[in-house]
Amino acid sequence: MAQPLAALAVAIIVGGLLVLAIGDDPFQIYWILFSGSLVGVPNLMVTLQIMTPLIFTGLAVSIAFRAGLWNIGVEGQMLVGAFFAGLVGWLAPLPAIAHIPLTLVAAMLGGALWAAIPALLRVKLNVNELVVCLMLNPIALLLTGYFTIHLLKAPGPTNKLPDVLATAMLPQFSLFSQANAGVFIALGCCLLFVLINGATVRGFEWKIMGLNPAFAYYGGVDVPGRAISAMLVSGAIAGLGGAEEVMGVYRAFFDGFSPGYGFDGIAVAMLANFNPLGVIAAAGLFGALESGGAVLQMTTNISKYLVEVLQFTTVLILAAQFSWGWLRRRRIGGSHQAIGAVAEPEPNPVAEEA
Amino acid sequence: MDAASAPIVDLRHISKRFGSSLAIEDASVDVRRGEIHALVGENGAGKTTLMNILYGIVQRSGGEISFDGRPVSFANPREAIAAGIGMVHQHFKLAASFTVAENIILGAEPMRSLGRIDVRGAESRAKALSERYGLALDPRALISSLPVGLRQRVEILKALYREARVLILDEPTAVLTPQETRELFITMRALADQGHSIIFITHKLREVLATADRISVMRQGAIVSTIANAGVTAEEIARLMVGRPVLLRVMKRRAKPTSEPLLEVEGLSALGDRGEAAVDNVTLAVRGGEIVGLAGVQGNGQDELIECIAGLRVPTAGAIRIGGKPLGRTPAANRAAGLAYIPADRARVGLSPHSGVWENLTIGHLGEFRLGPFLAVGRARRRASELIGRFDVRGAELDKPAQSLSGGNQQKVQIARELTRDAKVIVAEQPSQGVDIGAIEQIHRTLVEMRDAGKSVFVISADLDEIFSISDRIVVIYRGRIVADVEVEATTPEQVGRHMGGVHADDPGAQSFGMTEAAPG
Amino acid sequence: MDIDILHSTVRISTPLVLAALGGLLTYQAGMLNIALDGFMIVAAFAGIVGAYYSLSLAVGVLAAVAASMLLAALMALFNIRFRAHIFIAGIAVTFLAYGLTALLLKGVFGQDALFTSDKIPTFPNIDIPIVKDIPVVSLIFSGHTILVYVAYLMVPVVSWALYRTRWGLRLRVVGEAPEAAATAGIDVDRVKFEAMLLSGLFCGLGGAYLSLAYVTLFSKEMTNERGLIALAAIFFARGDPYFATLVSLMFGAATALAVTLPQTTGVAPQLLQMIPYVVTVLALVLVGWRSTRARNKYRAWRFDLT
Repeated sequence: MAQPLAALAVAIIVGGLLVLAIGDDPFQIYWILFSGSLVGVPNLMVTLQIMTPLIFTGLAVSIAFRAGLWNIGVEGQMLVGAFFAGLVGWLAPLPAIAHIPLTLVAAMLGGALWAAIPALLRVKLNVNELVVCLMLNPIALLLTGYFTIHLLKAPGPTNKLPDVLATAMLPQFSLFSQANAGVFIALGCCLLFVLINGATVRGFEWKIMGLNPAFAYYGGVDVPGRAISAMLVSGAIAGLGGAEEVMGVYRAFFDGFSPGYGFDGIAVAMLANFNPLGVIAAAGLFGALESGGAVLQMTTNISKYLVEVLQFTTVLILAAQFSWGWLRRRRIGGSHQAIGAVAEPEPNPVAEEA
Repeated sequence: MDAASAPIVDLRHISKRFGSSLAIEDASVDVRRGEIHALVGENGAGKTTLMNILYGIVQRSGGEISFDGRPVSFANPREAIAAGIGMVHQHFKLAASFTVAENIILGAEPMRSLGRIDVRGAESRAKALSERYGLALDPRALISSLPVGLRQRVEILKALYREARVLILDEPTAVLTPQETRELFITMRALADQGHSIIFITHKLREVLATADRISVMRQGAIVSTIANAGVTAEEIARLMVGRPVLLRVMKRRAKPTSEPLLEVEGLSALGDRGEAAVDNVTLAVRGGEIVGLAGVQGNGQDELIECIAGLRVPTAGAIRIGGKPLGRTPAANRAAGLAYIPADRARVGLSPHSGVWENLTIGHLGEFRLGPFLAVGRARRRASELIGRFDVRGAELDKPAQSLSGGNQQKVQIARELTRDAKVIVAEQPSQGVDIGAIEQIHRTLVEMRDAGKSVFVISADLDEIFSISDRIVVIYRGRIVADVEVEATTPEQVGRHMGGVHADDPGAQSFGMTEAAPG
Repeated sequence: MDIDILHSTVRISTPLVLAALGGLLTYQAGMLNIALDGFMIVAAFAGIVGAYYSLSLAVGVLAAVAASMLLAALMALFNIRFRAHIFIAGIAVTFLAYGLTALLLKGVFGQDALFTSDKIPTFPNIDIPIVKDIPVVSLIFSGHTILVYVAYLMVPVVSWALYRTRWGLRLRVVGEAPEAAATAGIDVDRVKFEAMLLSGLFCGLGGAYLSLAYVTLFSKEMTNERGLIALAAIFFARGDPYFATLVSLMFGAATALAVTLPQTTGVAPQLLQMIPYVVTVLALVLVGWRSTRARNKYRAWRFDLT
């Protein structure tokens, strides 16, 4: 528990120094961040709204990383899932009791489909999924943008698909923000994964192969198959996050609606050490920071990107393995030997020679 | 050979602590000029650690080191090299896609202007060096193209290029054919005669008796004795290593094999990682109720053969059957067919070092603890506790990471996991590697129990003593082919050693590469 | 298609070539450096700041290189000294850089998305005598700004350093067999550190080129994943400078097409903007297929990366 807080503390100090350099008062800025996110029901509702997609993406990243797969394509998977949700939500006239689940399933399919690309490339052709995922993110943005703007656009001066039908909308909680019932889906997914990780065979297999894929394979685990399933599930969860945005927040698919939820998900996952319950807490923290950041952006000349600096400074520090005994915890570097282990660019046969 | 010269290396009361564990307690040993000094001990006794301290890879916690009469303290290998100490490691430290010359000169490269390397100068120096010491090599050859024996020559030349006066050789013969071993011993003696000192770490007692001038025995982090190699026997050394009389052969009843083979390999061929022919038309069978030992120097196709059997490599021809049924394509399928595989590579394939002991014991048994999609964690943990007790795995707690166990206990975890299934065929790779003598006895006894229960046991080992100790039948592999298949009573280590080196026993021109005779001094 | 595309290909490929040169040095040293975009973006920003306040391009370029090398030093510190996993450190440093530059864009210039100014000096085009009058060839070789020439001239320099000097030999051995290097007495961490700093140097030039020569402005995330595209070029070329430059030129050509085609055909810009990314993925697929063809023949399944 100590390390994430320590990392966050250092990040806050670094941020404060930056604010000073720009010529503002760090204490005032941090107060605005805090109050803008957590003080008063309207602010809390905005925080809740922002935190919801972060739970989805943080969970998606956690599932994959835990199994040893570097799925940083969550942003693209969320976009594709959202797009599918936007289509099905708009085009399928069904009663809500059928329409909502159908749309959610469509979103999961979209996300899983987009995740299948790096998954298959990794398993069949040994292609580094990291760079493929990073490439697929802008491709997803451009592709969904193309369909939205050039083919299926809603009438009028907007860049969105037509609105989803009322039967596909997720109810919102209040007038202060677009926080909606999707958060229950998010929390439900987290609880589901607590169960999966701890008590199912699949969760056990994912954990072991994340730490040592060769050992798991030899031990009879279908590592290639499980790797694909981990990526597909991860993509599906990311897609669900997209569905929440389309069905609950915007009520339509907007081109470019995501301000980077997928990447923030990486920060959330790391802060949470890939634990589903930790994801909820970390998403709450980062959600609060971003919601406060929006207020910051409007009322000061400090950009909301201060929050991004804070987040990724935290990630950087968490990734380090300081050699102080009491900070020793499971680190992604050491333990995730994994399918995505540190790549030697050339294989090194001699070193393994007996 | 100087008889009473001042020591060139003197280690006094060295101690080394790693965290809370004491790897070396109090080690004192001296090495004279021009002598071959063997350092023997069980795995984990601290031999390599002690030499790593001398070479500057590891820093000592206490004690003094003198080199050439002066007190020294090497903070890194660079300083040790500068002083005149060279080390040839058990796992070669070579860069495979670079040339022999480049590997030799690395760190002390001959230069031209502007920071360029004098490539031709490097090659000629390497050539001169190899000729001077009788270790012929082509300086332009890529390391990846060289067989293991030649690679070791490069390692030795590396040390000699830096003008090492003391050469530390860590388990040098593990990867050599008997012929190459003999050549190495000749080289060592020549170097010693020229005034170099050689420290030779090994656990192979016969080799020690064949080459060393003096022998230091290490046990549990301390040097217990330094004796001259005159009239000493292997049993005496073994007793010093372990502290009690040691049985160098396991006691077992005569085998009563059934008539039907449970493991059959027919006409198997497979390619190695670099596309070379590794397994060449291999046919062998292991019947129920017998132990077959596969003898061979490492690198002759055993690894690839076992990988084919385990489902980790795809053969290019031939068939493998377990219990009469053809092999599946994945390890999972083969386990289901009744194969239990105990790999040599404990760090990667055999165990998950960072996972808890209970997790390591549960993998491969997931079917037993499955309740629909769920895992019966409590039951799996209880079973793990039971196994820890039954196999006497010391130092194991359910959640402690497997890497915290000693080599022997890690091996026991692997065995506990594999041998409690309903396996018909047990394939054990290098079972005693990295395991101390006491634990080896237990492991061998377990394998014999399996045999007596009617299973097929296939043991692969580069250690001829182990092969002879445990096998009922011995099969020898050389360059990917089976060159001998004999009952253990019908052969001797010497004959098997010849087969391992590719010399056929009935060949009229055959030389003797005696493994048991002492080499002429 | 206008023949001018030859000229624009050279221009467009320049930042890719610079990033690739930096990236391949770390690749040869055994590090998969995905923070190239981060290095370039801070360089681009520092370049604009330097050039704007000093009215000197030299100061701008110097500032860019300094900023990029500082970030590279940070990356080296966390990956080499603190053993942070290079993928995580790379992602963190990159997004840190994006956030930092966006923050400072608002904080220093008061702009949310983009900053430019007439006060910022521009690089003159250099016409090479004689060459400039040869048709076709002149489009490729003449009329570029100085950083373009610097970039391409550095390719033989890097190749020479890598394959002819002691420094290069040690770097490559550290990448392939760090234990061999360590036991030969080489300070492995120091070699890796130097490689990372050099990658900062080259990305510094690349970032300066982006904001001061290619265009004269700074906008958020203006590197457009060029660093990752350069990385794909490096994989494809297995770290060889000449081959990587060639591949970078091909990627540059693809991007040039993406810019000119919407005008000549009616194809939507999104589809054309996808070209470089899709080509990159295809290049990676080819790399994977090439290595798998060799490996899968012998092994049932491999676990490590290309």
